[in-house]
Amino acid sequence: MVSKTEQSQLDRLENQVDNGGGGDWEYLCLVRKLKVRRSDKVLKYGLAILNDPKKRSSLGQDEWTLYEQVAIAAMDCQSIDAAKDCIKVLQKKFSESKRVGRLEAMLLEAKGSWAEAEKAYSSLLEDNPLDQVVHKRRVAMAKAQGNISGAIEWLNKYLEIFMADNDAWRELAEIYVSLQMYKQAAFCYEELILSQPTVPLYHLAYADVLYTLGGLENLQMAKKYYASTIDLTGGKNTRALFGICLCTSAIGHLAKGRNKEEKDSPELQSLAVTALEKDYKQRAPEKLSLLTTALKSMKIS
Amino acid sequence: MAEDLVLDTAIRDWVLIPLSVVMVLIGVLRYFVSKLMRSTQVPDLKIVKEGQVIVRARNFRAGANFIPPRSYRARKIYFTNEENGLLHVPKGQTPNPQAQMFSDPNMAMDMMKKNLSMIIPQTLTFAWVNFFFSGFVAAKIPFPLTQRFRSMLQNGIDLSTVDVSYVSSRSWYFLNLFGLRGLFSLILGEENAVDDTQRMMQMGGFGFDPTKGLSAEKDSLDIVQHEWALPKFEHRAEAVLRKLVH
Repeated sequence: MVSKTEQSQLDRLENQVDNGGGGDWEYLCLVRKLKVRRSDKVLKYGLAILNDPKKRSSLGQDEWTLYEQVAIAAMDCQSIDAAKDCIKVLQKKFSESKRVGRLEAMLLEAKGSWAEAEKAYSSLLEDNPLDQVVHKRRVAMAKAQGNISGAIEWLNKYLEIFMADNDAWRELAEIYVSLQMYKQAAFCYEELILSQPTVPLYHLAYADVLYTLGGLENLQMAKKYYASTIDLTGGKNTRALFGICLCTSAIGHLAKGRNKEEKDSPELQSLAVTALEKDYKQRAPEKLSLLTTALKSMKIS
Repeated sequence: MAEDLVLDTAIRDWVLIPLSVVMVLIGVLRYFVSKLMRSTQVPDLKIVKEGQVIVRARNFRAGANFIPPRSYRARKIYFTNEENGLLHVPKGQTPNPQAQMFSDPNMAMDMMKKNLSMIIPQTLTFAWVNFFFSGFVAAKIPFPLTQRFRSMLQNGIDLSTVDVSYVSSRSWYFLNLFGLRGLFSLILGEENAVDDTQRMMQMGGFGFDPTKGLSAEKDSLDIVQHEWALPKFEHRAEAVLRKLVH
């Protein structure tokens, strides 16, 4: 996670570098430290440093790190030749290194020669079965080929070992949602909520999944999670407000005959409607009529 | 003490400076030797996995109230059931770290190497300092200090009348031993600094048993009471929205 101060520092440096104000190396270091994806800029400014012998030699040992960073950025931008040059230099310097081997496998992957890349990754994993990056590359590769079930299989294998990896859970959840496997996705989102209970986005996504699953119990749970999203975002999340309305209306439909009115918070839905109307009035008055018809169709306003 | 001790400049040239220079050189040398001997440690799959299980179980314990009761129960059984729960350690399978050490020669080797690169140079330099420079008053710090510093600064001189601000050669050696970290991190790069104090700490932590962590985590999971926090959130959301609307 990138904190606010780091983000503002990054923005400031980026602005400075874009306007030719210097500090390129500091910017590249920060990008690397925060693991943000700025491949085009890394490629541009990193190559500029690497092509200038004086600047390059002043980096000392960090020169090689920069080569690696630029190589990965180049692959991300599909400038295969630049990546190839960087990897060649690294290859010359560290001929036996696994880290360079990883880069070479990534180059194969970037070129789209899947079978060869797969072979390279497998041999890397044989040497070090705990290489997280290689595991993740494999998942990405399966996904890039459109082999979604393969990606799920790899991810599950990876999560069996590294079960505290949030990003992997999140990726798996999104894949399951894309395949409409909502029960599995719900499990993944629960896992995410457990590890970071205060991130509203996970609550929201979990509520979405529960709502989609349907059924009275799930709808009631979904409503609760929409409510927690509202609480965590301070009522700023439009999707959660709509979610409350949809849930209430759906619960109303389902619970009609049963007369089982267990209303913990009867006002929540009307409050959500008011908040939505207020928000639309403020930010998009011309779409207010759309909102009213939408709410009317839910038979709640 | 009215009159000051006058230190011979030859002491500066032949004791103080050589001692510091030798300490720095030995530090650098040791860095390169240990770099040569360092074996790339491949972490054990089982240990990594157990660490991850513990992290996940800890997260579960901390955030348990945020998931619905059904999911909570399923997870609790998954973690703690007696047959194949993740945190369940079968009896008799807790490997003794000592036995493990003997069964794995690499582990013993690593220990040996660590010890070799740490203890041997230290003993040698200490013997060398003791032999050549024992009893010297090597330097004087420019401010007065209380008597309590005597054992720190005048190691090797048993004179209670000498002012505490004089530093004996052996104490100078110790000051160098522990105080050169900053210099090393300048010379060798940030992470490479040879830090003796830190290494000694690491030695103490050796022999950590991950299975103990597993069963401890299981015990604390067993006593967790689940109280779903979400129903409360509807009221809180109401309060938030009410504030927003009005």
